[in-house]
Amino acid sequence: MTAMAKIIAVHSYKGGTGKTLLSVNLAATFAKRGKKVCLFDLDFRAPSLATLLKVEKSDHWLNDYLNGTCEIDKVLIDFSPKVGSTEKLFVGLANPATEAIRDMSGKDRKWEMRALGRLLALRDSLLADMHFDYLIFDTSPGLQYSSINAIVSADLVLVATTFDRSDVDGTKRMLRELYDLFEKKTEVVLNKVLDAAKSRKLEIEEKTKDIYQAPLLGVVPCFCDILRAEGSIVFAHEKPDHPFTRILDEMASEIEKT
Amino acid sequence: MANEEHLGRKPLHVLEKIRENLERLNDKMEVMIELQKHGRKDIQQPLADAPLDVMTLLSMPDHLRKTAMTVCRVGRATADEVAQHTHRARAVESAYLNQLVIMGHLKKERKGRKAYFFVEREAKG
Repeated sequence: MTAMAKIIAVHSYKGGTGKTLLSVNLAATFAKRGKKVCLFDLDFRAPSLATLLKVEKSDHWLNDYLNGTCEIDKVLIDFSPKVGSTEKLFVGLANPATEAIRDMSGKDRKWEMRALGRLLALRDSLLADMHFDYLIFDTSPGLQYSSINAIVSADLVLVATTFDRSDVDGTKRMLRELYDLFEKKTEVVLNKVLDAAKSRKLEIEEKTKDIYQAPLLGVVPCFCDILRAEGSIVFAHEKPDHPFTRILDEMASEIEKT
Repeated sequence: MANEEHLGRKPLHVLEKIRENLERLNDKMEVMIELQKHGRKDIQQPLADAPLDVMTLLSMPDHLRKTAMTVCRVGRATADEVAQHTHRARAVESAYLNQLVIMGHLKKERKGRKAYFFVEREAKG
């Protein structure tokens, strides 16, 4: 395993905080920087990457790998040609079929324990053997088994949050009662910030650090362009000059430093 | 002198057996000390398989979670190897590992002089 290799879990307390947007674009940003990246959809209750990346069919899903019916190389889809010939971006998707979602919801504790083992094994199979630089886990919100498995397997947890009151309270609890207990390095990404003018940057940063008592990786303003794109654009790839892409680039630089 | 000569003639496997038994006794003593420290005198026999899933990890006391997490990550480890990861004393880790075995979360297997601890993940049957 190289010293730089990392597993990053993108998590949040509530849904709709921008985990998937952040995961996809961060993966594309690292790929643009010449890193070999794999993005995984670990939200088995509401899979979204297959739709977002317009993958309608797959012979093997991440569900199959966790079920122990195939190895991880069968699951990976090479997205490199779609984002740029020199980039190395792979994805592992959750099966969006209703039957698969129902199946994943009914797993018992022993299955979840084995699933944790298979996620932990990715460190050897993908980082060490297949020389990936970054694995990015897009998780489901809150205290779901699949999310906590992802957190336990990760080196770094990015917590996507907003200034919504219930999200703030829940995120604070998770920082103390989940990430801290697992001794995880955690960074907060504040998303959908209204009035994020440069003059308020310091104020917002101090307020966030004060609330969460955790390092702040980045502040993402509420961009109308992102809402208008309706999840169909990978900004880091298609809009290289967009302010969101620049913010992602800064975040990637910070992550590379750690 | 006569005693030493007599001992020298003893088959090696008898001495090996004594050493193994002493190590087992040592393991048990460490567990008992640990259980007494944490007021768990009630648990004496290993419990049936108790899956080491993330919710179980979350509900564990901090000192045991650290040990259990290390075994989860490493896969199969001796007390010495766990101690290297947690930066705690080998004897402390040995006690915690044996406690986790008693609780049914870990399995223990002896190979020669070494005792290995691991999570049994594969389904039985």
